[in-house]
Amino acid sequence: MATLISLRRRIKAAQNVSKTTRAMQMIAASKLKRAQDAALAGRPYVQKLTELAQDITLRTEDAKKHPFMRLSIDNDKTLLIAIAPDKGLCGGLVTNLLREFFIYSRDEKNAQMIVVGKKLENQVVKLQNEVLAAFHFGTTLPTFDVVFPIIKLINEYYLSGKVQSVKVLYTDFVSFFNQSPKVVQLLPISLPESSDQEKKNVAQADMLYEPSLEEMVPELLKHYLEMSLFQYFLETYLSEQAARMIAMQNATNNAKDIISGLKLEYNKTRQAKITGELLDIIGGRTGAQA
Amino acid sequence: MNLKILTPEKITFEGDIDELIVPTITGEIAILPHHIDLLTQVSDGELVIKNKGKQEHIAITGGFLQINKDTLTLLADYAVHSEKINAQKALEAQKRAEEILKKKSEHTTEQDLAIAQAEMRRAILELKVARKRKHV
Repeated sequence: MATLISLRRRIKAAQNVSKTTRAMQMIAASKLKRAQDAALAGRPYVQKLTELAQDITLRTEDAKKHPFMRLSIDNDKTLLIAIAPDKGLCGGLVTNLLREFFIYSRDEKNAQMIVVGKKLENQVVKLQNEVLAAFHFGTTLPTFDVVFPIIKLINEYYLSGKVQSVKVLYTDFVSFFNQSPKVVQLLPISLPESSDQEKKNVAQADMLYEPSLEEMVPELLKHYLEMSLFQYFLETYLSEQAARMIAMQNATNNAKDIISGLKLEYNKTRQAKITGELLDIIGGRTGAQA
Repeated sequence: MNLKILTPEKITFEGDIDELIVPTITGEIAILPHHIDLLTQVSDGELVIKNKGKQEHIAITGGFLQINKDTLTLLADYAVHSEKINAQKALEAQKRAEEILKKKSEHTTEQDLAIAQAEMRRAILELKVARKRKHV
């Protein structure tokens, strides 16, 4: 049986852990609110922008298509932008993301990588995979300027034809309890699955462009690229905070269970010890009287 | 017809309207029901929404307007109702941005400048719309 001192030490340790995890849970919860506001507010906008970009792609004749709209056939290389958090302690989020990342890099041998987030960067460095660039994710709500250096790289590689498509790996926020890693295609603009007839209908419907489509398209697509990429950052951040809050809540509960178990054992041990001592005294006394 | 104004921050307006006057980069246009499908680039300025004799004014900075069978979708970088504009704050923002633009040093990056310029653009627009609407 453990001694009283060692039990007391273990209780103390468990209490410290529960305090820390509780604090982290509170921090994540407060960050979560802002993250949720930002990410959920951006969704309809980005969705509509994507629809618009798809719509225009359908309507433009192949010859006139902006490079962002068509698949170049020169090579089959892809550029993957993988977005991960900087910090761990958020349940299975990072592990799931890493698994997805390695599956992807195994399947697509020709992929070029841009990684965001220290967690991913560390793993990639350990395995000595080559990356084009690595950025930090940060621990606060992403600001819009995070996208600029990445966009610059995308433009450089995509427009020069070094890569055929650009994809993003991020963690999609489904609910507080469910965040799943996802790979989506950013460029060229992927079209929704619909029958050829439907596509024809859209393409032939009358539409007025003011000014001409050619003048608007570059601006619109630039916007599409920036906003979608930023949205993926927001989603990742939101997922990170939600996952951390839940993970820390579980950790706090576990620590509390351990504390109560240990306390019970401590008290039992203490009682047993007192009883034993009493027995010794009483036994000693009766022995002396006899 | 139905109008929806989306910005990255929130849905600023959603509902049925009778008429929309919108500044585009080729000039101001008014849109009435049964307008032909249209895609246009919106410039900085004031949006006028008319519905059942009532008018609403919204300041917007740049974006795109799509009309699809009497459903209007406006994607704006920023949009705010004229009565919600805080002129005091806008004025301060303008001054702050002006200072950043003036004080250009080697520490200010291209991005800082771009952000300051965007803020200035927004502040000036807000002030313009706020002033205009106060005198109506």
